[in-house]
Amino acid sequence: MSDRWVSGRQASGRRVSGRAALRRVGPARAAGAAAAVLLCAFPFYLDAFWLQVGLFSMAAAIGAIGLNLLSGTSGQLSLGHAFFLAVGAYGYVWLAGEPGPGLPPAVAMVLAVCLSGLAGGLFSPIAGRVRGVYLGVATLALVFLGQHVMVNAEGVTGGFNGRSVPPLEIGGFTFAETDPALVVLGVPFGAEERLWYLGLVLLAAVWFSARNLLRGRPGRALSALRDSEVAAAAMGVPVARYRSAAFVVSSMYAGLAGVLIALAFRGIVPDYFGLALSIDYLAMIVIGGLGSVGGATAGAVFVTALPLVMGRYADQLPLVAAPGATGHAIGPTEAARYLYGAAIILVLLYVPGGLGGLFRRRVRPPTPPVRQPKEQTP
Amino acid sequence: MSTAFDILLNGVALGSVYALVALGFVIIFKASGVMNFAHGSLLLLGGYLTAVLHERLGFYAALALAVLATALVAGAVDLILLRRLDPHATHVLTILTIGVDIALMTDLTRRIGGDLLSLGDPWGGSVSTFGGSTVPHTRIASIVVSLLVIGAVFAAFRFTAWGLSLRAAAEDREAAALMGIRLHRIRTLAWCLAGALAALAAVFLVAFPAPGLERTTGEIALKAFPAAILGGMTSPPGALLGSLLIGVTEALVAGYEAELSALGGGFGDVAPYAVMLLVLLARPNGLLGEKEAIRV
Amino acid sequence: MTAAAPGLRVRDITVRFAGLVALDSVDLTVEPGSIHALIGPNGAGKSTCFNVLSGIHRPEHGSVRLDGTELTSLAPHRIAALGMARTFQNIVMTSGTVADNLLLGRHGHSRAGFAATALRLPHAVREQRAQLERAREIAELTGLGTHFRTPVDLLPYGDRKRVELARALCLEPRMLLLDEPVAGMNAAERARTAGTIGELRTRFGLTVVLVEHDMGLVMRLADEVTVLDFGRRIAGGTPAQVRQDPEVRRAYLGAPSPQESA
Repeated sequence: MSDRWVSGRQASGRRVSGRAALRRVGPARAAGAAAAVLLCAFPFYLDAFWLQVGLFSMAAAIGAIGLNLLSGTSGQLSLGHAFFLAVGAYGYVWLAGEPGPGLPPAVAMVLAVCLSGLAGGLFSPIAGRVRGVYLGVATLALVFLGQHVMVNAEGVTGGFNGRSVPPLEIGGFTFAETDPALVVLGVPFGAEERLWYLGLVLLAAVWFSARNLLRGRPGRALSALRDSEVAAAAMGVPVARYRSAAFVVSSMYAGLAGVLIALAFRGIVPDYFGLALSIDYLAMIVIGGLGSVGGATAGAVFVTALPLVMGRYADQLPLVAAPGATGHAIGPTEAARYLYGAAIILVLLYVPGGLGGLFRRRVRPPTPPVRQPKEQTP
Repeated sequence: MSTAFDILLNGVALGSVYALVALGFVIIFKASGVMNFAHGSLLLLGGYLTAVLHERLGFYAALALAVLATALVAGAVDLILLRRLDPHATHVLTILTIGVDIALMTDLTRRIGGDLLSLGDPWGGSVSTFGGSTVPHTRIASIVVSLLVIGAVFAAFRFTAWGLSLRAAAEDREAAALMGIRLHRIRTLAWCLAGALAALAAVFLVAFPAPGLERTTGEIALKAFPAAILGGMTSPPGALLGSLLIGVTEALVAGYEAELSALGGGFGDVAPYAVMLLVLLARPNGLLGEKEAIRV
Repeated sequence: MTAAAPGLRVRDITVRFAGLVALDSVDLTVEPGSIHALIGPNGAGKSTCFNVLSGIHRPEHGSVRLDGTELTSLAPHRIAALGMARTFQNIVMTSGTVADNLLLGRHGHSRAGFAATALRLPHAVREQRAQLERAREIAELTGLGTHFRTPVDLLPYGDRKRVELARALCLEPRMLLLDEPVAGMNAAERARTAGTIGELRTRFGLTVVLVEHDMGLVMRLADEVTVLDFGRRIAGGTPAQVRQDPEVRRAYLGAPSPQESA
């Protein structure tokens, strides 16, 4: 039946021009390559502190890209991202550790990501039909219930004091200080350097997959859900299934971010995976600009690096007291949080596209006023 | 020793305080379609102001001033920030309130630090004994005051021009705008009222037997989220019902903690969320909430 | 599979909102391959009727049959898969370009899932390319060829209306529901869209149901007309018959004349 719509001749005639377009290498690609080279060179020039900042930023970026798929693209407000991060982190620690099955860490990592996806899928009876603020608060419940389990299921999670994280090991190569000892171009490769490259590889994979998703069939269906569920359904998109699928996929990214965070911290505690973390991730995608992979990354770097960097340079900043100063002075943590709250407000008020939007802002004529019949037939 | 009566009274008292907060959520949601995440810091602001003012002004004057100031701050959030944005982008507005919360909460927690502040309420630690049960006066006060205030708010909904306009606006924003209802003023007033309710709730949240105002007090507002949601965000009676359910659930789980030890220590704190999830499974718009109208 | 145009049998449909009767035992028969207009004053229940046909509202009782398949128990995306496509009265456009919107219409005709798309598996890439070609065909068919890569929020109103139509056509429907296809357009755009609708019908053997206030267009284009008033079917027949019907005259008398309100 579909042959009625297009003739073969026309189709083959256009494919050539399509390929030509694909071959065009834009300046964006060149900039991307330059950034990749730069990122690979960092461990040779930066000290452990900056590598830590970078590592946490990369982990956060992976999580933020996941949340962006859910809240930015498909428009489902989630305050439960911390929960899915926790499932990934604890999943890895338990699967690879003792007590636990003690699987090879690489296998545990993959399974932990799947476990997070499964947790997202188990939420689908709610994700499929609860909307808007109701969904936001429902996901908030995940965080509190999750933390309750983390504190109480001591056999798995280590309880309030958490657990230490077994280092990742792939084919005899350990992502830790030694084993094997490694010196590259005169730079000793410790845990930070090794994890940095692991983070880069994972982040690259996440960028690749998330951008493909957004540009492909699933991404279009998800953004159609955000713009109008009714219209999406009328176009043939199964609404409940896609709403749930968005949760599964976003949770898998969160799970991966959780594993990386666990590896970077080398120890995890329930306190970390609280509401504040969920809000951080929401802030990342808002500050970065909803709906884009690059924006989510920019937001993640901003939100993650800000408090760390301010803490380090507190003594050089005006108006900010050194950490541990007495009285009610503004310490670096507080200063970072003021800036952070203000950044959310200012970005929403004055930079509608977010940080990501600043870079790819195009000059657009103002949208013409829409003449729209206002009849609302019940 | 806690008897069933004590537990129930605890639950109702707790529920009545949650109701003050949850009603604020509902009023703001009806007026602007926003889940106000800054509510916790507004509550903390009200409590903090009462705490620092009561020694100089006495409790009632301090409370009145704190309620007024919190109302003004809440109104200012709407007037200065929210009004600049597209009122239909409720997601964006909701996230904006998170930004407000972070900034305001940071400032308040910095001021409070590790202190435990007394609000100087007149009931103190006094108790009465009824048939073997010891009842703190603060509990009775919280139930009575909440009932009076909530009654007044409900009356305002029904009988004042503001209440009528608010309801009309919540039904159909565009139609209300066309009918000449000044949405801006209704909205800002709604924010003020919600702020005032939060400040009032702070008093009873930190009164005896609670130890006093600390920097984490604002987090208690989060418990009113499930209350408002499970009642239905569009329904003030729903907020009331939800708050009672949450309060009693929490008190029951805490009261029978020994019997419920399989659920883990401190389950009372998270039980409201479990109850809410169960309700949402059956009713995605809460117990008394309206289904969103499909408009195409 | 036969490509014959389907018929639609609506029997005794009743829809209530909060106690208010929006549709009251409405019957409607659409002959295969015809253009059927649904008219009536504002609030008559025309859009509600469309929402029932496309599965958005579930009626209290009654039946909707598309070539013998009962639709009232099906989810909207299933009804779409049966070959029923629709446009909306108020334009519902997805962000992105015209191409993005048309590709959304191709959703049911493509298969690539999350994993295949994320990993750029060869079959997903091939499918995406093929669907893009299809979408471009349809864009050209509806006069949107030059705007294919334009973000929809930059398009003028008339073109956006056309994107709605093109997106519905991307479903390769057998039955097309058009909710006020020319509302808000100027005379030239109206004539052009009317021409397109007629052409599509004959070229692809579509059955078309349209809600429209523009009586000129209805009389020129429709084979048959059904008139709704206050949720009831008050008349039906050929355009000429309906024009003469005393009930119809009464319903429209006093109400704003249909030409003006559009």
